[in-house]
Amino acid sequence: MMTAAESNQKVDAYLRRLNALLRGMSKEDAHEIIEELRAHITEKATVNGEVTTTAVDAALAGLGDPDELAAQYATDAVLARAEVSRSPVRILKVLFRWASLSVAGFFVLLGSLIGYSLGLAFILSALLKPFFPARTGLWYFPASGDSTISLHLGVTGSAVNGRELLGWWIVPIGLAVGSGLLMLTTQFALWCVRRYRRSRVVRVR
Amino acid sequence: MLTALYLVLHSIEEMKQMEPTNHEAGDKWEVQLRKGCLELAILAALWEGRLYGLEILRRLESDSDLVVSEGTVYPLLSRLKALELLRSEWVESDSGHPRKYYALTAAGKKRAIEMAGTWAQFSASMSKLIAPLERKEKGNK
Repeated sequence: MMTAAESNQKVDAYLRRLNALLRGMSKEDAHEIIEELRAHITEKATVNGEVTTTAVDAALAGLGDPDELAAQYATDAVLARAEVSRSPVRILKVLFRWASLSVAGFFVLLGSLIGYSLGLAFILSALLKPFFPARTGLWYFPASGDSTISLHLGVTGSAVNGRELLGWWIVPIGLAVGSGLLMLTTQFALWCVRRYRRSRVVRVR
Repeated sequence: MLTALYLVLHSIEEMKQMEPTNHEAGDKWEVQLRKGCLELAILAALWEGRLYGLEILRRLESDSDLVVSEGTVYPLLSRLKALELLRSEWVESDSGHPRKYYALTAAGKKRAIEMAGTWAQFSASMSKLIAPLERKEKGNK
């Protein structure tokens, strides 16, 4: 038989553990969740004005394993925020958090970073072409000696052995391909987020 | 790039398999069905006015067959708030601790109406489709 103090300790331990697991969230968000659940447990565990230990256990059981609960909270809230936003900066921020929570998040972040940086490189090349016409562009370097080839995008130090592939076409092509890549990457990230969210299963009591 | 895409898809598949699968195949369909309705059920429960978490749970329990766990409803409330379909406020109560009340935003009301329309249409056509099955069931009894 547990005493009231012991069941209080149990609730505190549960909420402390949950709080520690909500690391992907802002401090205020985590605090709100903890306080909301504390109020919930207190109210659910109070029967005829008294907190009973069996009721405390039942309330905690209803909330389930803190690890599972934290995972639901963190991914749900974090991913929902990405869905209301289309800005790459905000999406990347969210993906960084998701990456800290799961392996899938890590790979989505990796893919998105590659997409965004390639897109930015194209746009930057297009913008820099008018200022450094001789050194900006898409370059093809047949590596001397061995059979490997190397393509350079952007501003090169010297253009000695390279062959420029696009000339001034880098401006329209760079802008089009670059912004296309940015949009595609955003779509890709949001698609992954939705797909992941849909795969989550509701727990039925 | 392609490798990264492959890894992403692969790990998503893997994670799906890691999700709890302690339900039988028939149960799983029911779980999915309930899951699909839960969002509409919560928005509908809040149609008449603000409620706090435990009230929402009790409303769902008494007015529908949607007996879902607290561990599902609270994170969902937090997500609906992040999606700006709900807003929340802390209100002092007689019981001594403040309660977090949820209410529909304008966007939440719009979404609830849309979802209710879709649901009514879908369930009407579904009922029509399964009508012969129900007659058969009665005949067997």
